Amino acid sequence: MAEATLLKPKRESFWRSRVWKRFRRNPLAIVGASIVLFFMLVAIFAPALTADRLGRNCLRDLGVSRTEAVKVLRNPLNPKFWQATLHPPPSCYKIPRKGYSPIPKPPSKKYPLGISGGGYDILYGLVWGSRSAFYVGILVISVALLIGIVIGGLTGYLGGWVDNTLMRFTDAVYAFPGLVLVMVAVTIFGRSLTVIMLAIAIVSWPTYARMLRGNILKVKAQDFVDAARALGAPPLRIFFKHVLPNSIGPLIILASLDIGSIVLSVAALSFLGLGPEVGFADWGQMVNFARRWIVGPPGEPLKYWYTWVWPGLAIALFVLGWNLLGDAVRDALDPRS
Amino acid sequence: MLTYAIRRLLQLPIVLFVVSVVIVGLLQFLPPSSRAAAYVKSEQQLAHLDEIIKQYNLDAPFYVQYWTWLKNALHGNLGFSRVDKKPVLESIATRLPVSAELVLYAFLPTLLFSIWLGTLAAIHRDKFLDQLIRVMAVIFWSLPTFVLGIALVAVVYGYFKLFGIGRLPPELYIQLSQQEAAGQFHFYTGLLTLDGLLNGRLDVTLAALKHLVLPTITLVLVLGAQIVRVMRSSMLDELGKDYVRTARAKGLPEKVVYYKHARRNALIPVITLAGLMFAFMLNGVVITETIFNLPGLGQWAANAALQLDQPSILGFALFTAFIVALANIAVDLLYALVDPRIRYE
Repeated sequence: MAEATLLKPKRESFWRSRVWKRFRRNPLAIVGASIVLFFMLVAIFAPALTADRLGRNCLRDLGVSRTEAVKVLRNPLNPKFWQATLHPPPSCYKIPRKGYSPIPKPPSKKYPLGISGGGYDILYGLVWGSRSAFYVGILVISVALLIGIVIGGLTGYLGGWVDNTLMRFTDAVYAFPGLVLVMVAVTIFGRSLTVIMLAIAIVSWPTYARMLRGNILKVKAQDFVDAARALGAPPLRIFFKHVLPNSIGPLIILASLDIGSIVLSVAALSFLGLGPEVGFADWGQMVNFARRWIVGPPGEPLKYWYTWVWPGLAIALFVLGWNLLGDAVRDALDPRS
Repeated sequence: MLTYAIRRLLQLPIVLFVVSVVIVGLLQFLPPSSRAAAYVKSEQQLAHLDEIIKQYNLDAPFYVQYWTWLKNALHGNLGFSRVDKKPVLESIATRLPVSAELVLYAFLPTLLFSIWLGTLAAIHRDKFLDQLIRVMAVIFWSLPTFVLGIALVAVVYGYFKLFGIGRLPPELYIQLSQQEAAGQFHFYTGLLTLDGLLNGRLDVTLAALKHLVLPTITLVLVLGAQIVRVMRSSMLDELGKDYVRTARAKGLPEKVVYYKHARRNALIPVITLAGLMFAFMLNGVVITETIFNLPGLGQWAANAALQLDQPSILGFALFTAFIVALANIAVDLLYALVDPRIRYE
C-alpha cells in the first residue's frame, strides 16, 4: 500500500477537546488544580524556601556553608541550586531541631509557625513534608499500578480459570481493611518507610486490576480487534499493540489522582507512630508530635494550637486538592455527565 | 434463600483458613525465637525459649507448625498479648464491647444521615443545595480522621469543656469496679450504655453516652461523606432511567417518583458500600479509639503494632477477617431482600 493513499484520522487537539472544556468550566476543578499546583511548587522549591533554616547535616551533604546558604540556594544561576532542587541528599528530609525541650514554642519571627515539642521547626517540616508526600505518593502508586497492570492484564488476556482465580484473590485483598494489613506487615518486618510503602502498595492494587480487566474486556469486543484478528495478527501482538494501549490510558490518569488518598494512609500510620523514623519530615508524624499538647494547661486550653493546626491543615488541604481534581477529571472523562 | 445463607456461612471457615495460612506463613520470616515470644507469659519463661520452641514445633516444617498453631487456636490459645498481659482471646473478649458500642452508635446514623443527604443532593441537582452538600462531602471525605478527631478534642472538649475523653469519668469507673466486686453492679453485656440501663443506673448510661459523642461524630462525618457521594450519583443514575419518566408521565406526584421508585433502586450500590464500610469502621476505630482514649480493639491493635506485639496483631487481623467475611455475607443476603430480581438457588 502506498504511503500517500493511506487515510489517517485527524488527531483531535487536547485543548479543543470536550474533556478539557468540561474540566475548565468546573470551578471545583480549578480550585483542586490550584491546590495541587501550590503543593507541587512548594515541594520542588523546598531547598530554596528553607535555605535559611537547613540542618547542619543537610548543609554538609550539599557542600554549602550556613553563611552563604541563602545566597547560593536561592540563586537559579548557581549549580548548587539545581543540585539541591533536583536531588537533595536524604539528610535534608530530617527536620532540624532547635534544642530538645519537650515543650512547644509559639510562633516567632525566626520560626513563623512555631516549634513543636522536641524542638522541631514546624515550617521546615511542612515544606519538606510536601516533598516527601509527593515522593511517597508517586512511588506507592507506581508499584500498585505495576501489580494492578500485571494481574489485570493477565486476567483480561487469558480469561477462563486464571481470570476466575485471580479475580477471587483480588476481591479478597480488596475487601480487607488496608490499615490492618499494613499493621501486620509492620509488626513482622519492622518499622520503616519502605515496609509501609510496600505494604500500602500491596493493599491498593486491586482497584487498578479490576479497572484494567474491565477496560480490556470492553476493548476486546470492539470491531478493530476483530479486524486485526482477521488480518492474521497473532494473539500476543493483538493484545500488546491494540488492546492494552487502548485500555490503559484512563487507568493511569485515574490512578495518579489517588496520590491524595495514599498520602492520607501514610499520614494515618505515621500519626499512630508506625511511619518513617522519628524526625523525618512527614505531616502525619508532626501531628503525632503534637499529641501530648492537644489540650493545653488549665486556663489556656488552646495554648499549643500551632503544633497540630498547621500539619493537620497541610494534610487536609493536600488530600482535598487531589480529591477535587480527581472528581473533576472523572466527571470530565465520563460522557454521561 | 435459607440454604444459600447456610452455604455462605459454611464458607466462613475456608476464609479463616486462608487468612490464617497467610498469617502463619508471614511469621516464617521471623526467627523461631521471636515466634516463641508469642507464647511467653512471664519473664521467667524467657530463659526457657527452647522448650517453647519445642512445645509449639516452631522449628519444624511449615505444615507441622501450621497444624500445631491450628490445634492451639481451636483450643482458644492464640498466644499471649504482651500489651494487655492477657491471653489474646481474653483481650478480644474484654475489648470487643468497647468497639462494638462505638460502631453501633456510629453505623446507623451514618447510613441514615448520608442516604438522606445524598438523595436531597440528587433531587436538587446543580442547585445551591446540591453544590453545598457536594462541597461539604468532598471536604469531610478529604479530612483525615485523626485531624478531625484532634480538632474536636482541642476545641469541643478542651475549650468548651463539653463531653468527655475515655469511656467514663475516672471516679465513676473506679466506683463501678468496686461495686462490681461487691456484686452491686453487673457487666452483663460490656456495653456501658446498656449495662447502665439493665442495672437501673441511669447516671452510668448518661455518662457513657456523653463520652461517646465525640468519637461517634468523628466516625459519622468521615465515613458518611463517602456514602453521600455514592448515594447521590446512584440516585442520579436512577433518575435518568426510563421507568422514572414513565412514572412521571403517569402523573405520579414527584414525591412518589423520588422516594418510592428511584430511591429504592438507588439504594442497591449503597448496600455494598455500607457492608464494606462496616468492615472499614475497624480501620477508623483504630484511629478514633487512639485519639479519644477508648480501651477498645483499635487502641489495642495500635499499641500492639507499636510494641511489635505479634500475637495481638495477628489476633486482631484474624478477627477483622472474620468480621469482613460476615459483613460480605450480610450484604449478599440483603441484596436479595432489596432487589426481588436477585434469587439465590
